[in-house]
Amino acid sequence: MELSQVRYFVTLCRTLNFTRAAAQCNVTQPAFTRAIQKLEAELGGDLLFRERNLTQLTELGRSIRPHLEAMLDAADAARNLAAARNTRAAASLKIGLGPGIGAASVANAVREIANALPDVAIHFEESGPATLIEAMLTDMLDCALLPEFCDLPERLNRWPLYTDRAVAVLPPDHPLAKQNAITAADILDQTILVGEFCGGFAGRLAATTGYSLRLQRCNGAAAQLLDLVGAGLGVALLSDRLRIAAPLTSRPFHEPELQRKILLTAVAGRPLNPAAASFVKLCRAQKFV
Amino acid sequence: MSELGRNGFLNQVLPQGAMFPDFMLPSAEGRLVSLSSQLARGPVIISFFRGEWCPFCRLMLSALTEALPEIEEAGATLLALTPETGGLALTMKEYHGARFDVLSDVDCGVGLAAGVVFQIPKLYRARMSADFAERQGNAGFFLPVPATFILAPDGVVAWRFVDVDFTHLAEPADIINAVRSLREHA
Repeated sequence: MELSQVRYFVTLCRTLNFTRAAAQCNVTQPAFTRAIQKLEAELGGDLLFRERNLTQLTELGRSIRPHLEAMLDAADAARNLAAARNTRAAASLKIGLGPGIGAASVANAVREIANALPDVAIHFEESGPATLIEAMLTDMLDCALLPEFCDLPERLNRWPLYTDRAVAVLPPDHPLAKQNAITAADILDQTILVGEFCGGFAGRLAATTGYSLRLQRCNGAAAQLLDLVGAGLGVALLSDRLRIAAPLTSRPFHEPELQRKILLTAVAGRPLNPAAASFVKLCRAQKFV
Repeated sequence: MSELGRNGFLNQVLPQGAMFPDFMLPSAEGRLVSLSSQLARGPVIISFFRGEWCPFCRLMLSALTEALPEIEEAGATLLALTPETGGLALTMKEYHGARFDVLSDVDCGVGLAAGVVFQIPKLYRARMSADFAERQGNAGFFLPVPATFILAPDGVVAWRFVDVDFTHLAEPADIINAVRSLREHA
């Protein structure tokens, strides 16, 4: 298939009018129609019903549309990033991070974008899934890293990136710091500090074991919760991908294994700016270990 | 395959003399590689691979890995492009011990711009063992034909090899000869 054929089809999907779509693509209508017919021949069926006053997508047209849009966006993004790099165009990269999801795992991808586009404005937003999803749908965020256990609307594309595992964060002189790993039984008599940004590991621990845990609610930022861990108020269960600063220390949590898949999400069918589109590609291309 | 041939597939592939559009794509190691920065060093060979699962692509990658010293001696840079994601480009590169860049053409964007992408007909999808939706991170069932382009330093296609039969791939010796003749005529 040809780039122009795909571009014409995507434009036609948006206008559902051959005359308007051809005009938007700066091509004569006969040439436009021929290109759509060639694409249909290649894809093995009609993509549109051509009725007198109504142009509608066929089932084949509807099913292939998101994939052709994605491919066209990818073609444009690969070229636009190269062009933006040469012209030093202004760009922004706005990434949402779900509860307890750090930026460390995607920091290399952000660095690559900033190296290619030195003027890029980088923005991270850490919040609950509902807020981040709303921000993506209203175009306030380009994409977001979200945990698998949240209601994702159909309109969001999602790609699994990696699996987060829980660690117990302890003050350095804590008796449990002598152990290589921590189990549920180890922390039954401990206070567990929980906040919005802890990733829900403590809740999952209670649900899987049925144990009644001593939970101490602490709303605020992760840094403040960690200050309280440092002061000996309790321990915290956080993602193993967060960087825990000394003197605090962390131990892997086993039995039960507490983990969650982290997905990269973005609104389907909405072209991203070159910086954001390339960030998504960089994340999708690699394997996170 | 014969259907691709009948549909005039070859007519839509970027021809000799056309400008290959500039691009930036992620490398196997997670860096962004731009075509123009590679062209600044001399001719660039762009080779499209269907994926790590494809035995013919593996043969071709082995042959290119072996031919790399001669390609470099002729002053050219080799870029291998695959639509595979999730670290499979790195798997491919490490398997062959390749020193050239293997780039992830995520969602086949550059393949589309080069005119080498086709959709696997429904009939064949079930017969192919590879899980394309997972490997490519999209369920479009698009693949590039294994085409090879040699670009002059100005980005113009100086030579190309494309065949809708995926068992026919460019010969490394032909690639090296084409690069050498490009240098002689420069």
